[in-house]
Amino acid sequence: MSVPELKERHAAATETVNNLRERLRQRRNELLDTDVAGYARSQGRSPVTFGPTDLVCCRILQGHTGKVYSLDWTPERNRIVSASQDGRLIVWNALTSQKTHAIKLPCAWVMTCAFSPTGQSVACGGLDSMCSIFNLNSLTDRDGNLPVSKTLSGHKGYVSCCQYVPNEDIHIITSSGDQTCVLWDITTGLRTSIFGGEFQSGHTADVLSVSINASDSRTFVSGSCDATARLWDTRAASRAVRTFHGHEGDVNTVKFFPDGNRFGTGSDDGTCRLFDIRTGHQLQVYHQQHGDNEVPHVTSIAFSISGRLLFAGYSNGNCYVWDTLLAKVVLNLGSPQNSHEGRISCLGLSADGSALCTGSWDTNLKIWAFGGNRRVI
Amino acid sequence: MPPEEAVTFPSLENEDEEEQPYSFAVEYTGPPVPYDLPRAVPINVEKIPVATVVSKVPLSNTELHIPVVPPILAPDRNKLSKELLLQPTVSPTSVIAFEERVSEDTNNCLLSGELSSYESGELAELINNNDNSSRRLGACSVSNEHSSMLDYCDSFGKSRESSSRARVSNDDDLNQPDWGSNESVLSLDYPSSRVSSRKTGDCNNESNADIKRPQVVTFRDIESDDGLDEEFGQDEVQPQVARVKREPQTKGKKGSCYRCFKGNRFTEKEVCIVCDAKYCSNCVLGAMGSMPEGRKCVTCIGFPIDEAKRGSLGKCSRMLKRLFIDLEVRQIMKAEKLCEANQLPPEYICVNGQPLCHEELAILQSCPIPPKKLKPGNYWYDKVSGLWGKEGQKPSMIISPHLNVGGSIRPDASSGNTQIFINGREITKVELRMLQLAGVQVAGNPHFWVNEDGSYQEEGQKNMKGYIWGKAGMKLVCAVLSLPVPSKSSNPGGELLNSMSGRSVPDYLEQRILQKILLVGSTGSGSSTIFKQAKILYKDVPFSEDERENIKLTIQSNVYGYLGILLEGRERFEEESLAEMRKRACSKDTDPEVGSIDDGDGKTIYSIGLRLKEFSDWLLKTMVSGHLETIFLAATREYAPLIEELWKDAAIQATYNRRSELEMLPSVASYYLERAVEILKMDYEPSDLDILYAEGVTSSNGLACVDFSFPQSLCDENIGTADQHDSLLRYQLIRVQARGLGENCKWLEMFEDIGMVIFCVALSDYDQFSADGTNKMLLSRKFFESIVTHPTFDQMDFLLILNKFDQFEEKVEQVPLTRCEWFDDFHPLISRHRTNTNSNSINNNPTHGQLAFHYIAVKFKRLYSSLTGRKLYVSLLKGLEPKSVDAALKFAREILKWDEERANFSLSEHSFYSTEASSFSH
Repeated sequence: MSVPELKERHAAATETVNNLRERLRQRRNELLDTDVAGYARSQGRSPVTFGPTDLVCCRILQGHTGKVYSLDWTPERNRIVSASQDGRLIVWNALTSQKTHAIKLPCAWVMTCAFSPTGQSVACGGLDSMCSIFNLNSLTDRDGNLPVSKTLSGHKGYVSCCQYVPNEDIHIITSSGDQTCVLWDITTGLRTSIFGGEFQSGHTADVLSVSINASDSRTFVSGSCDATARLWDTRAASRAVRTFHGHEGDVNTVKFFPDGNRFGTGSDDGTCRLFDIRTGHQLQVYHQQHGDNEVPHVTSIAFSISGRLLFAGYSNGNCYVWDTLLAKVVLNLGSPQNSHEGRISCLGLSADGSALCTGSWDTNLKIWAFGGNRRVI
Repeated sequence: MPPEEAVTFPSLENEDEEEQPYSFAVEYTGPPVPYDLPRAVPINVEKIPVATVVSKVPLSNTELHIPVVPPILAPDRNKLSKELLLQPTVSPTSVIAFEERVSEDTNNCLLSGELSSYESGELAELINNNDNSSRRLGACSVSNEHSSMLDYCDSFGKSRESSSRARVSNDDDLNQPDWGSNESVLSLDYPSSRVSSRKTGDCNNESNADIKRPQVVTFRDIESDDGLDEEFGQDEVQPQVARVKREPQTKGKKGSCYRCFKGNRFTEKEVCIVCDAKYCSNCVLGAMGSMPEGRKCVTCIGFPIDEAKRGSLGKCSRMLKRLFIDLEVRQIMKAEKLCEANQLPPEYICVNGQPLCHEELAILQSCPIPPKKLKPGNYWYDKVSGLWGKEGQKPSMIISPHLNVGGSIRPDASSGNTQIFINGREITKVELRMLQLAGVQVAGNPHFWVNEDGSYQEEGQKNMKGYIWGKAGMKLVCAVLSLPVPSKSSNPGGELLNSMSGRSVPDYLEQRILQKILLVGSTGSGSSTIFKQAKILYKDVPFSEDERENIKLTIQSNVYGYLGILLEGRERFEEESLAEMRKRACSKDTDPEVGSIDDGDGKTIYSIGLRLKEFSDWLLKTMVSGHLETIFLAATREYAPLIEELWKDAAIQATYNRRSELEMLPSVASYYLERAVEILKMDYEPSDLDILYAEGVTSSNGLACVDFSFPQSLCDENIGTADQHDSLLRYQLIRVQARGLGENCKWLEMFEDIGMVIFCVALSDYDQFSADGTNKMLLSRKFFESIVTHPTFDQMDFLLILNKFDQFEEKVEQVPLTRCEWFDDFHPLISRHRTNTNSNSINNNPTHGQLAFHYIAVKFKRLYSSLTGRKLYVSLLKGLEPKSVDAALKFAREILKWDEERANFSLSEHSFYSTEASSFSH
């Protein structure tokens, strides 16, 4: 079989796949007679209301000198690790806004950081294509730097996101610019399984984000520059369980819904979407109309503890609070008096859901808490 | 209501008894009094004059609601006329100046200070039970309500339920359901210290008319002014700058912690460098937060420090060391010393009667001999001799002369009365004595000119009379008279300059001087070679042990890979030749003339022995499975002896000779394969050249960066002294591997702060094709376009490095450049007479390769110009030649320099065919 012949076949196969995909999309649209917002409206639900003091900024964590790229909370709720382009990880006590650790990184171009479930160690990754683990209890060296306790190397591209497998301190899942996600065994420093890559059906562009299902830690979703999100099972690394199309731009962030049956995505096309992992359907699009052509990218999302609220950070410094049921913006945390001055690059909810932390390119992190008599939802 | 108890109250009228200890609320045990006791005066909220608007809080804590204390006015003023009137307090940050009404009653100010320091809670309780107290008590209760309210604001965690009357505006924070549990501690992070506790009560004994004037609030109260004067010494005249002095709250008893009110003056405490508040070790973290500007209360962040504490800046206490880890302490102390808010405000320093500006202060502090321990105040400075002293005093030291700071010196600067002048300043008696001891002729009230080295001459005369400090024993004399002598380093001329350039760069300047250069290139463009060359060129220790170990492993696994390719090729060749033989065997059947010498055993020149065959199979298998990197370490140990045997095997050698037929084998492979035996030994140590040839920089091939500065070579020295400063400039070369970074280049956003981008393209790529059949040069072009047009690199300078010129020169003679469709209009004019006409060119006889290089450079320049409208810098490079890389990086340095000076140049030069590239090509 000659090369042109093969190319012809390949083109034909691609064509077929695209046709099938289109048919699938049409069929889905037929079946999908409503979305979440439509149904909720028909049921007479009204959106959550927010007063001006219901969600207030109660702490500003100052200390980074570069753009903040990532943050993560501990499960025991009051500590935050943040990663910034000044080449440092800082561990904060969110209640006192005190720094407990400042870790100088060997490579300043860090993109992600994560707290281990026990809160004993933090992980980070970035353009050095490695995931570095720091044990917070280890002694500092002569220069006062915390030594790297483990380096997970094997990615062929930058490490864009990492998350510890819940309830285990020894497994971590990373996503990378080499189009793969990897499950690592931290004790040995070796790859347990590789999701995607050359010979497997995986993402066809950089993977930017992962989120592990909290109720079933064997499944996780990944979002990629190929405008798709994929669902994976850690027991079967060879192929994705499901691929979710719909976005028209890079999927920057994915986050599992608290019940574990849905997940949300945020994309360069300026929308957040909610997908159901059982049916594969897209349940809802969260999109705010903008007058001008410049569509702000969604950089990071988080769900409230009940899932009723979706916090989404945008590249223009906005941070919308969406009512997931009615797809309405109920609050903009980026309103002028207390906004960040730069893009909101990351946000995260504390484990008990009582506080939200946002990190921005203006080098600050802010903690927002439900104020007044408001119940945490 | 008959009074059950009465309270004796100290006689306030008695103004002379300043030191009298006051006793409050002693139970009245006497007989019932016949007269009525007035009730506590109710407060009419409506009639309260509005408190001043609190100025904007620098720390934009939006959740911080500043409790506003309502000033208190009784409706019936006559009743209160002889009572203590409270002055409402305002935020110390308020800028509204209030007039001080009664200034004579300073003792009452003291009194109210005392009052507030009592446990006001108790007192308020007492008074609340006691409605029919005396008129005085009424006033007292007012004042105590007031203070209890304040108290409440400060520590609502403590006295939350006790007082219902207090208005606390930050209820929101308190009632948070989940944070509430911690909030009682937390809310103290933001003590409402904006409400000054210092109440300057005025006893109003004069007239009603006086009282009817609106309530006034003073901001600069007497005590704080006194404090300032003490701090700076009485002989110093204060600069005419309104100073904002923050006052802490003094709630608890003296010496206790300002936050928890526990402890005494002997408990270890940390002091706020702005407001002098003292906190015990339990409260420090809460009250001072994360200390972004050092030891300041959270509310004091952003305020200038108390100048009296300047000396202790950056000096860590034991308490901090206990509370923080070492690194953090260092960070805090660094922040304390270097953050902007803590710097000495220049306008506080007057030199020769002129307050300094920022630049002048910087000059003063950065000169070779700066004034020691510069404190706010008025100074005189003799610019000719460098003498320096406080205004009205004898000189205290000799600093660097000729600094352009402050005004010109006044004759009476040091309040001398000797009628002898030095550089226009009348000297003091002590100086005169010194001059006499130095043997200087001082008869007839001469005017002297004294230079910085001590040489002096009389005014109007030409000849140098001698050196003041030249005489032996003058140092001793000066020491006795406590007069300064010039320090040794103040020698004139070149030595001074050297001492300047020799000084180490201060920490906070360091970051500014680091120039970042981003080096990008697609795979195989040789950017890693450039990076490694830079390391070898500019670093004393180019590669650390770890790096060498890593590179060794990389090289070894690469060599295994090359061997694998060879073995694969061997198999192919073997099959081919076997097939050939079979064919011949077939033809032999028909053609019996060919002898049957080598058939039967099926051996060819490419066949290998069984042992080697096993190894070969194993290697190929692991290569296919992609695990080569993970197991080759073990392989090195096990198979090292085999390698030698394998390499010497005739079959391998035969295959190696046909290596040009193996497309997979990179050109660099032969360099290593020739020495395969040596390399694959356990104790192999890669040489610098080996490292240079190796593919990749790090094992994972991620980002790598190196800090360097260009060493001062001989040729640099003749550029002149102006460039000496450049040796301080440090550069950071950041090399990013394009592969695995994605096409949309999200990661580029991280490189906003770099100075320029070096884009690397391998010239020899023009006839190479990637796996999917696209020309590699076109791929490079696409990558170039996406990087150049990336919004992050708007207005960024680009230097295009056309690499691998050595290979290109050879190749272009055989393979026409038009192989790449982008270059299809390349028709070089190679004619004999060209050599004659082109005499002004640097190279008189441009080779085909050079022509092709210029053609490609122009192609890229045009592309760049069409995309950005700017000019692209191009440099030619041979990655393996250190000189070539050095030249290219120096060119990059020049571009960065031009960038700074660009404002001076007109942007008219717009030649695509500029020759600056070629001037660096050799």
